[in-house]
Amino acid sequence: MRAQFRSRIRLILVCIVLLALAVLVRLYFLQIVHGDDYAQKADRQFSSGGSGLFDRGAIYFTRKDDTLISAATLATGFLVAINPQTLGNPESAYTAITEAASSTTVLAHDAFLAAAAKKNLVYIEVAHHLSDTAGRALAAKTLSGVQVLKESWRYYPGGSLATQSIGIVSYGSGDALVGQTGIEATYDGILTRSGDSLYKNFFAELFSNVGNLLVNTKDVHEGDVVTTIEPEVQTRLEEDIAKVNKRYSSKESGGIIMDPATGAIIAITSYPSYDANDLSAVDPLLLGNPLVERVHEFGSIMKPLTIAAALDAGVITPETTYDDTDCVTVDTRKICNWDHKGHGRIPMEQIIIQSLNIGAAWVATQLGQDKFRTYFDTYFGSKTGIDQPGEAHSFLSNLTKPQQIGYDTAAYGQGIAMTPVQMIRALGALANGGMMVEPHLVRAIRLNSGIERQLDWSKTVPVFGATAAHETATMMTALVDEKLDYGKAKIPTMSVAAKTGTAQLTDGHGGYYTNRYFHSFTGFFPSYNPRFIILLYTNDPQGVQYASETLDGTFLDLVHFLIDYYAVPPDRGLPAGAATSTSSG
Amino acid sequence: MHSLSSRLPFSFLSLSWGAVGVLLVSYIGLIAVVMSYAALTVEFSQSVKNDEAAVAVLESQYLSSVTRITNTDYLAEGYAKPATEVFVRATSVTALR
Repeated sequence: MRAQFRSRIRLILVCIVLLALAVLVRLYFLQIVHGDDYAQKADRQFSSGGSGLFDRGAIYFTRKDDTLISAATLATGFLVAINPQTLGNPESAYTAITEAASSTTVLAHDAFLAAAAKKNLVYIEVAHHLSDTAGRALAAKTLSGVQVLKESWRYYPGGSLATQSIGIVSYGSGDALVGQTGIEATYDGILTRSGDSLYKNFFAELFSNVGNLLVNTKDVHEGDVVTTIEPEVQTRLEEDIAKVNKRYSSKESGGIIMDPATGAIIAITSYPSYDANDLSAVDPLLLGNPLVERVHEFGSIMKPLTIAAALDAGVITPETTYDDTDCVTVDTRKICNWDHKGHGRIPMEQIIIQSLNIGAAWVATQLGQDKFRTYFDTYFGSKTGIDQPGEAHSFLSNLTKPQQIGYDTAAYGQGIAMTPVQMIRALGALANGGMMVEPHLVRAIRLNSGIERQLDWSKTVPVFGATAAHETATMMTALVDEKLDYGKAKIPTMSVAAKTGTAQLTDGHGGYYTNRYFHSFTGFFPSYNPRFIILLYTNDPQGVQYASETLDGTFLDLVHFLIDYYAVPPDRGLPAGAATSTSSG
Repeated sequence: MHSLSSRLPFSFLSLSWGAVGVLLVSYIGLIAVVMSYAALTVEFSQSVKNDEAAVAVLESQYLSSVTRITNTDYLAEGYAKPATEVFVRATSVTALR
């Protein structure tokens, strides 16, 4: 019995030894005999699971019908890397890579050969952003020492569309891609993905961290960002602004279209801009958002705010008259009307319609320094809080000095400076019953949990009464109906309020150029229940003096486009008795 | 204990071996489930990413079309600018649009 047991044990031991020998022989062939082949095969294999692939939430435009269109998303494809230690023929490898990656950037020939010569390295990336087809075709060639790996990258389907507001991602101080400008930076915490959710062990989590399986804490703060930008309106504004800038060889131009009741920015642009998908030759100065970061003296579009303040304070009424002269001297400085003419005794409306500096200065004097400062501090004294990084402070130092000249010039938009976003927020009060709103670019966050969280932008700041706003809007509407384009801009079925602004540019030495200007234009419609407010500007246009020459065509084009695109219903009828009214096209 | 095992139709050792076998099979099964779960999750995730990338290409084409239409010079395309625009009195709400 015992002998039989021993023989069985020996038999089992022999089997185990034979099995071990078989395994050893197999391992010898795998690792020693065919080791290089398998190593190269492994090199060529794709990163199948997406481990380590860049991941980030999307940013969306919102069309007028609430359809979401990606402003920033992820593209997937392949990158090519070489292992100099196993690379066979560098020349043939380079030829194959450039053929496959014809539409993307590949390392230059000399740089490729230099990289291939670095035999102490095992991994050097030589081409990025290959399409799926090109990547698979290159991988199928099984080139020795050439690896084709899956990759994903940030992709902006609109290219340069709203790019300065959407922003970019790049490597900062660390080794991760983070939002650097625009919405990418402001909402980086929501857009960033931790990237470990795919690879955690369900059962390990079950025993060690059951709470996270039921409620994933990341799902309540990671998500996608939904903007208020309407892509077709944005495209129209960008094209119009680019045309103005090119036509007048301006230094820069910009524009904003906003809903004055909510502060939702529907379109915002600055020219020149850049293509967010190709940052290889971008001027770093263009990467920020000029409409948030740069201040300007806007000129006469400030006059409606001066008038509204004085109306609200009760120091004038629409019927108040003053004696308009060509020039006046204040604190030893001479200020004049744009046409160097006096217009006699005229009502307040004419200050807006004829854009009279003497009238605006007279109103500022009537208002008094303390009240003027209080109103303008409310307009521009604080940042708007727009969801963009790097918002600049306004420049109101002239209003802290006792000299009246500072107040008189501020009344028509010289000597004080603010950002375009701060300007449109203040002007928006004229279109919103005297209440300033919070300008914003993002309306909602779509969390990974599936919940869409609407952001609260409901905070308003009262600056003047609804009556003052209405009376000022009436004056601005009269400008469009009677003055703009010699009255031809009037739309019989739609009231439109507007104001032009032409400011002299500062020379950097405390004075102003006499032949260089900053042109601005603002307007809203329908005048008494506005859907949209528009602010346009062009900086240092060449060969033209007044904003009515550079920007009125652009403004009217946008007004007609918005009326058609949003089917804005008429707010006024034709004159009584008139069956038709005709306007030249 | 002795009396209990004597009353059972199988030995306690056999029962233990059986339990070990069941646990072993369960353990291997769990490993298989976890690996399958991970593989499927990765596969679905990659599939979603690929679909999103495909949608992004379509969105890019849409935005390019919008830009092309906005940039179209209708005068250069042979269309004439209207000589006049006539505003008519609305007779009913439906006539507005």
